[in-house]
Amino acid sequence: MSQVNVTIDGIKVSIDEGATILDAAKKAGIKIPTLCHLPEIQSIGACRMCLVEVEGSPKLQTACMCPVSEGMVVKTNTPAVLEARKFVLELILSNHPADCFTCIRNGNCELQELANELGLREIHYPGERIKAQVDSSNPCLIRDAEKCILCRRCVSMCHEVQGVGVIFPQKRGFETTIAPPFSLELRDVPCTFCGQCATICPVGAIYEKEYIDEVWQALNDPEKFVVVQTAPAIRAAIGEEFGLEVGTRCTGKLAAALRRMGFDKVFDTQFGADLTIVEEANELVYRIKKGGTLPMMTSCCPAWIKFVEHFYPDLLDHLSTCKSPQQMFGPIAKTYYAKKIGIPAEKMFVVSVMPCTAKKFEAERPEMRSSGFRDVDAVLTTRELARMIKQAGIDFVNLPDEEFDEPLGISTGAATIFGNTGGVMEAALRSAYEIVTGKQLTEVEFRQVRGWKGIREADIEMDGAKVKVAVAHGLSNASFLLDRIREGSCDYHFIEVMACPGGCIGGGGQPVATNSNIYEIRKKRIAALYEEDKAMSVRKSHENPAIKELYREFLGEPLGEKSHHLLHTHYTKRGATYQREKIWV
Amino acid sequence: MKVYRSHVLICGGGGCLSSGAQEVKEAFVLEIAKKGLDEEVKVVETGCVGACDLGPIAIVHPGGIFYRKLTPEDVPLIVEEHLLKGRVVEKLVYRPLSGEGKVTSFQEIDFFRFQQKNVLRNCGVIDPTSIEEYIGTDGYQALAKVLTSMSPEEVIEEVKKSGLRGRGGGGFPTGVKWEFARKAKSNQKYIICNADEGDPGAFMDRSLLEGDPHSVIEGMAIGAYAIGADQGYIYVRAEYPLAVERLEIAIKQAREYGLLGKNIFDSEFSFDVELRVGAGAFVCGEETALIASIEGKRGEPRPRPPFPAQSGLWGKPTIINNVETLANIPLIILKGASWFSSLGTERSKGTKIFALAGDIRNTGLVEVPMGIPLGKIIYDIGGGIPKGRKFKAVQCGGPSGGCIPKEYLNVPVDYESLQELGAIMGSGGMIVMDENTCMVDIARFFLEFIQEESCGKCPPCRIGTKRMLEILTRITEGKGEEGDIERLIKLGENIKKTALCGLGQTAPNPVLSTIRHFREEYEQHIKYKYCPASVCQALFRSPCQNACPARVDVPGYIYLVSQGKYEEAVALIRERNPLVAVSGRVCDHPCETKCRRQDLDEPLAIRDIKRFAADYLLNNGGYPLPSLQEKKGKRVGIVGSGPAGLTCAYHLAKMGYDVTVFEALPVVGGMLAVGIPEYRLPKEILNKEIEEIKKIGVEIKTGIKVGEDVSFDDLFKEGYEAVFIATGAHKDLKLEIEGEYLENVMGAVNFLREVNLGRMQKMRGRVAVVGGGNAAIDAARTALRLGASEVNIIYRRRKEDMPAHLEEIRQAEKEGIKIHSLTNPVKLIGNGKVSKMECLRMKLSDFDSSGRRRPIPIENSEFHLDVDYVIKAIGQKPDLSFATDHLKTEISRRGTLVVNKDNLSIGKNGIFAGGDLVAGPSTVIEAIRDGIKAAISIDKYLGGKGIIEERIRKEEKIDQTKPAQENPEVQPRIKKIGNKKDINLKDFCETEPGYTEDEVRQEARRCLRCDLQVD
Repeated sequence: MSQVNVTIDGIKVSIDEGATILDAAKKAGIKIPTLCHLPEIQSIGACRMCLVEVEGSPKLQTACMCPVSEGMVVKTNTPAVLEARKFVLELILSNHPADCFTCIRNGNCELQELANELGLREIHYPGERIKAQVDSSNPCLIRDAEKCILCRRCVSMCHEVQGVGVIFPQKRGFETTIAPPFSLELRDVPCTFCGQCATICPVGAIYEKEYIDEVWQALNDPEKFVVVQTAPAIRAAIGEEFGLEVGTRCTGKLAAALRRMGFDKVFDTQFGADLTIVEEANELVYRIKKGGTLPMMTSCCPAWIKFVEHFYPDLLDHLSTCKSPQQMFGPIAKTYYAKKIGIPAEKMFVVSVMPCTAKKFEAERPEMRSSGFRDVDAVLTTRELARMIKQAGIDFVNLPDEEFDEPLGISTGAATIFGNTGGVMEAALRSAYEIVTGKQLTEVEFRQVRGWKGIREADIEMDGAKVKVAVAHGLSNASFLLDRIREGSCDYHFIEVMACPGGCIGGGGQPVATNSNIYEIRKKRIAALYEEDKAMSVRKSHENPAIKELYREFLGEPLGEKSHHLLHTHYTKRGATYQREKIWV
Repeated sequence: MKVYRSHVLICGGGGCLSSGAQEVKEAFVLEIAKKGLDEEVKVVETGCVGACDLGPIAIVHPGGIFYRKLTPEDVPLIVEEHLLKGRVVEKLVYRPLSGEGKVTSFQEIDFFRFQQKNVLRNCGVIDPTSIEEYIGTDGYQALAKVLTSMSPEEVIEEVKKSGLRGRGGGGFPTGVKWEFARKAKSNQKYIICNADEGDPGAFMDRSLLEGDPHSVIEGMAIGAYAIGADQGYIYVRAEYPLAVERLEIAIKQAREYGLLGKNIFDSEFSFDVELRVGAGAFVCGEETALIASIEGKRGEPRPRPPFPAQSGLWGKPTIINNVETLANIPLIILKGASWFSSLGTERSKGTKIFALAGDIRNTGLVEVPMGIPLGKIIYDIGGGIPKGRKFKAVQCGGPSGGCIPKEYLNVPVDYESLQELGAIMGSGGMIVMDENTCMVDIARFFLEFIQEESCGKCPPCRIGTKRMLEILTRITEGKGEEGDIERLIKLGENIKKTALCGLGQTAPNPVLSTIRHFREEYEQHIKYKYCPASVCQALFRSPCQNACPARVDVPGYIYLVSQGKYEEAVALIRERNPLVAVSGRVCDHPCETKCRRQDLDEPLAIRDIKRFAADYLLNNGGYPLPSLQEKKGKRVGIVGSGPAGLTCAYHLAKMGYDVTVFEALPVVGGMLAVGIPEYRLPKEILNKEIEEIKKIGVEIKTGIKVGEDVSFDDLFKEGYEAVFIATGAHKDLKLEIEGEYLENVMGAVNFLREVNLGRMQKMRGRVAVVGGGNAAIDAARTALRLGASEVNIIYRRRKEDMPAHLEEIRQAEKEGIKIHSLTNPVKLIGNGKVSKMECLRMKLSDFDSSGRRRPIPIENSEFHLDVDYVIKAIGQKPDLSFATDHLKTEISRRGTLVVNKDNLSIGKNGIFAGGDLVAGPSTVIEAIRDGIKAAISIDKYLGGKGIIEERIRKEEKIDQTKPAQENPEVQPRIKKIGNKKDINLKDFCETEPGYTEDEVRQEARRCLRCDLQVD
């Protein structure tokens, strides 16, 4: 690609043709403020924060969209530019509730940050503010349109990245809001609750529904035996909430923190993940050998499940019947483990810490009561857990490393990589290979399924037979595969789908980074999980000693009677209609 | 081909169709068949003729006879008389105001005469549903020419050379745009016709699509060939079903004729067009939003660059041209770039279609060469402002445009000139506004439109325009604050700089342009909570009261008169205006010009109602005494006993001051006594009214000229604590021509004073009065009554430009006075006494700052008028001889005294001034207003609260229940019959009769009671 030379604030940069002024400025080390821009996801020029002066152009130009041209001279900080930005920001703030103290994004808000950076001291144009009802109709996400600044990042996320498209601009002019159509709420539309919108909202307009109070209450209830499971992706991200560098592994600190918070047992969802792999790998082998519905698709991502239920109900048979690790952990804790330690299941309170907002919905599904009780009682996101740790006054950064409790805290490297795209596939392959071939797998890393490409595929040789697999992350990419299944032009045996780009490490409940390239952050978290995997002594799920013991003592065999009852589930045809009724129950 | 001897063209434009053209057409077809004429006469439904307010229209050829406002019932007569017998049905033919009633071809009518129909050449001429008729008028010849003999580059070069610029508003050079797209590398390109016409009042695109759809398709095909596109889209709004229908027909016909489709004219070029019907969002007229809409997305703009010519529809190079732009293309190709560029101005070439709407006689579509003066469109083509109202401004360019005031009627209508004035060409909407338009309200209206149509994508447009609207709404509700104008300007300028698309970037224009040209009107709203146009409801009780400079409670006293409560009525009037009988006769009644009843039938005869009440009491023992406050023991001197002085004296006396009025003349009343002739204001009435003022203790001393006989200092030394000077404007202006000092040449004020004082009782011979104001008419009619054998009024402008009241002019003419308009004296000739006046004929040229056409002399048009007297009535100014050294004041360029407008103080402790002395010659009621204002200021100055007590309404003597009047019956003014008598031109008897009691109470009952709000 040919290069063009531009001068930005006197600094000369050479950059690919077709790049924007914003790209060039970044290359020159110059920060241009943005609100609506989202690298790799959205450039729409709506927020007007990135206005700059371009020599020879009478109007201010939108840096995030204006392509550079040879010899272009740009100024990003002239008085005219600064006044324009301040003016627009003042307008935005004039239509924003100034309730920062009680806002969930207090201290982590791009609007707040920008107001501070631009030195806003007065709103010269006060006036009417938009009035809207808070949508808290579902167990996962809350939308507060009064805080919305209409940057539309959530819209791009929902439409372009996820291909779901349940929220978009409604009405016109001052009345414009981002919402589902016809004044419906999120529960009335085919929202997957993936929460990607919440991870990129610059303000507090979309955020997780908090269950912090419920968990504190359980912890403070002497009658309750509270166990916690924490998903693989948490350890690679929670450090960000405490100022640690992105990609810092915090497994030991996490266990220590949970213990200090007062959980009776600190367990690991990775145990559930290993269990999932054993069941799922066996299911795959069974389907291949016995002629079941293929390709089989993974089922550990609740947003993905809901997506198929809404938009591809005809393809539900392709989903593995395995519950997700969270939901395998729950009934095992309340049956096997409860019995083992002699605690009545009704006294056990299972909390899970998830990188995900859809997990809150998953835990509420009526199918998820196979222990006879609600299998998972409360789901916290990474962000909520971090808040609780702060509330408890725990100095997270300086905590010693501790271990998870036994036996449900024992896991393998295969379970660790469940937290990123391609991880479930790789973990399944590690086990399936040995189940099918009966041979020891020497090279456990399946590099073909790793990486950031939207759809990755691989042919795996197993005993002379070729197993064709594919991995997709982001629901738009998944849709592409589903459409091919529908057409009958898809010869994969096994497909892994993670709703969120990057997998669980990019989940809707993960720490929100302001003013960053979110994909770059996710890639660093993925790297941390692969490192963690590498450092584990056991890297195949079926070799997890605790899992082996579980089968020996309790379950019997994979896909057996008990497994069927406790670890497998079924799905609901939901359809993609918009209607005012609870469609998740 | 069949030959018909006559064609009846029925306008099938949207306007005519909605007024019933279809029925008229059917009636013609039926009637023609009935008479067996269907082999001889053809009925054609054409596109829009342009004169939309005259519809349904039929033009009968040969002859081009223009029948207007037809109903099916009119048709048999036209068929019988015109088509069968060859006799024009004159009563159904359009007659222009200026045409002296002659029936001519429609092309001779002013509305059409000044137009140049190029783009609209086929509209109103051919049947738009017939491709044969289009081809018959050289249609598709241009396409044939480019496909057979021109390269795409040559086409682009030709369009560039023509200077054609986008007609959708932006004015970007079309050829340059095409060149960009031509050069863009892509396997696929598109051309889009933007027919999403959304400006309120603009409908040129609709008319073109309805009247000549093939011209647009041909233009698109040529554009497609030039840039290398093979697919076109016409994005037309769903609100234009007729345009959609006719486009569908046209596209189908073009395909059938091989003019769309593969290998057109056997060339390599293939092209087809699809219709896209937009859902009617204003913002979709913006090209990037339009593209989004075609792509099936929410119609929202995106920033440019990249421009659509590089990356447009589905990311492919795309050209978007407006309907009118495209319709120009075939003409440019056929007639040549140099023909096209010979029309218009240096930078704006060709013709432009404008949609005339609003307060203008001829509304409709007009096409004129670029650069034509704005005033020519409004006055020559548009026929000016109806109902005798004054032109105020024209909104050019729709909601994105701006208001241009009367001072700029000479502005050439081209892209740059309009922009310089804060407006834009836009798509060519012109909304004409008369004096009854409130500019703040208009700005609010346009902003409200924009706010509702904003797509909401960028904060400046979404929130910024809302903030502007909030401020404007506040101002129109009387809640404006100091600093609001500055806030609006700041918001507007910043929105222009920061908004994403053209809609937002131009949204503040209506506000900024009205602030620029009508800032005072904003200030009146904010500072005085006054809406001069009587539009902003929250700021006044009723339009009549709002229009009255003295703010008299008009609906209140009209109600009281209707109930026979004359004492209360007069008391209510005198709460503000003590000169009831006087203003009941000589007030110029601005109240009546704003009376809402005129929209129904005629305004109330407010002045006559007042006069009746006053006369009734004066003839029956006098006015009721007002309530008087306790004596304050403070003396106030008033210099001048005209309406301002008397009013001030009256109010101050009511408040308890000891008031003395000093009058230099031997008689009391100022101009009322010596300026206005007896036949308009009998001295007896005036004196009775003055007695009523004296009754409450006002002392009047005549024959004392303050400044000469007694100094201002002396007054203060004598114990006067405040002085109000209202000495009027009694000095005649000079003609400044040769012979002005001959004998029998005099000023009108001087003349009227001599007559009024009885010093001049006879006049023999021929009298010429120079001027066009009320003084001129008074002088002329007075001269007639003194015995002049012939009275001529010489006026340099047109009769309709005369500032005198229309009723006075009519009276004068009725009495035999001759008005020589467009005539100006240049020399007075005589030997000692004047005997001849040399005059020049004048003609109208460009517009002056008053919005009227400037009269200029016609060379060698001198003629002589025999005269015995010449009376100069070209204006007056104050006599400032009293303003001697010890009363140093500022004097304006017009020779009037400068005061603080708010309190009438001259900047010296205790001295106030008002009336004509300050304003220059103006009206009685304005002088009364100054009297009130001065009384309030003086009271405040002397420690009072400056409150003029208002009692009658508070005492609930006025019924506050709104009369049922959902559909008031049409009832024109009650005629003054009972008191009518013959007028003798030899004496000074009052010419205008008053109402009888029965009549007045009937008239008063016509009041719609606008003062009462309906919930």
